[in-house]
Amino acid sequence: MDEIRSNPDRELVDAVLAKRPGAFERLIREYQGLCWHIIYRMVRHPEDARDLCQDTFLRVHQCLHQYRYESALKSWIGRVAYTIALRHLQHKRIALVDNTDDNEDYALVENISDDFDLESACADEETAQHLHAAIEALPPLQRTLLTLYYLEEITIPEIARITGLASGTIKSHLFRSRLRLRGVLENRTGVAV
Amino acid sequence: MNHHDMNQVGDDNIPHFDDEAREREWLAQERAMRCERLHLDCASDDARVQRYRMLARALRKAPQKSLPADFAQRIAAQATSAPAGNVITDTRFEFILIAAIGIMLVVAVVAVITLYGDAWLPSINAMLPAPSAVASRWLLAFAGCVGLSWLLAQWQSLARERPLA
Repeated sequence: MDEIRSNPDRELVDAVLAKRPGAFERLIREYQGLCWHIIYRMVRHPEDARDLCQDTFLRVHQCLHQYRYESALKSWIGRVAYTIALRHLQHKRIALVDNTDDNEDYALVENISDDFDLESACADEETAQHLHAAIEALPPLQRTLLTLYYLEEITIPEIARITGLASGTIKSHLFRSRLRLRGVLENRTGVAV
Repeated sequence: MNHHDMNQVGDDNIPHFDDEAREREWLAQERAMRCERLHLDCASDDARVQRYRMLARALRKAPQKSLPADFAQRIAAQATSAPAGNVITDTRFEFILIAAIGIMLVVAVVAVITLYGDAWLPSINAMLPAPSAVASRWLLAFAGCVGLSWLLAQWQSLARERPLA
């Protein structure tokens, strides 16, 4: 009972539903970073992403009474943001994933060169820019999953709640995209695969 | 690779890869991510983990573009200023939809009775006990009262909602 009372999600949701001054603004401040990362990584267009973030929080305000505490508030709001971004991509007929040949990436699994200096590679601005460009070039879903996993530090089961995908599917996407990005690094540092 | 070659289930119900090489690669990816997150020393890392650590550094950087500083304040003001508007619009739309369906249903029933009633109404009448003329009038008056009360209640509820819209 004490646990329920001291749950910060519950306190915040109760305050918003009771229309306490500043409560909804506090909720937005708490989760605007998450929504921005999900939506911006999905749609990549800053203006569209801002509009979709606005739609997300208006939707959250409208539907918060339907939140049943079955998952963390973060996951519930993330799910709203993900769904809104997904609909936007579907409306614009932008593919969520690509259909490249998996075997091309998997050739990398057993190929690795020994001469790699992390510090000097990180200091190489050109390599870093090349890597960032490769991340940007990933399909929307893979970009978003990597951002949730690395930047937001969300676990795979929580990402599954946000995206509605199975944990195995998320693992597969993370594996493939990281392998592909390692391939970019291998090419950059001059390793034959 | 796809998820069909991941059968075993590990922690948090995340399946393992069947292929050992892929599972090793996955573990290297995970180790690099944890080391970078915890800022651990990378001297003992092999070349594979070192590459994934560089990748982790790049992925942990937030996008340069962000939401405007007044975003939360502006959206909160917008959401809380007219919260009832949308709800009432939705309710009214729902009411109009239900009323339209109800009218269509009544029109359909009247049409069916007009077109095909001659065939089956007499047999139904024959089955029912013949009511007296007085009883029929009272029955009609009662139905009229019920209908009128319902319409009045609907009109009153709409009138109550209108000033808020």
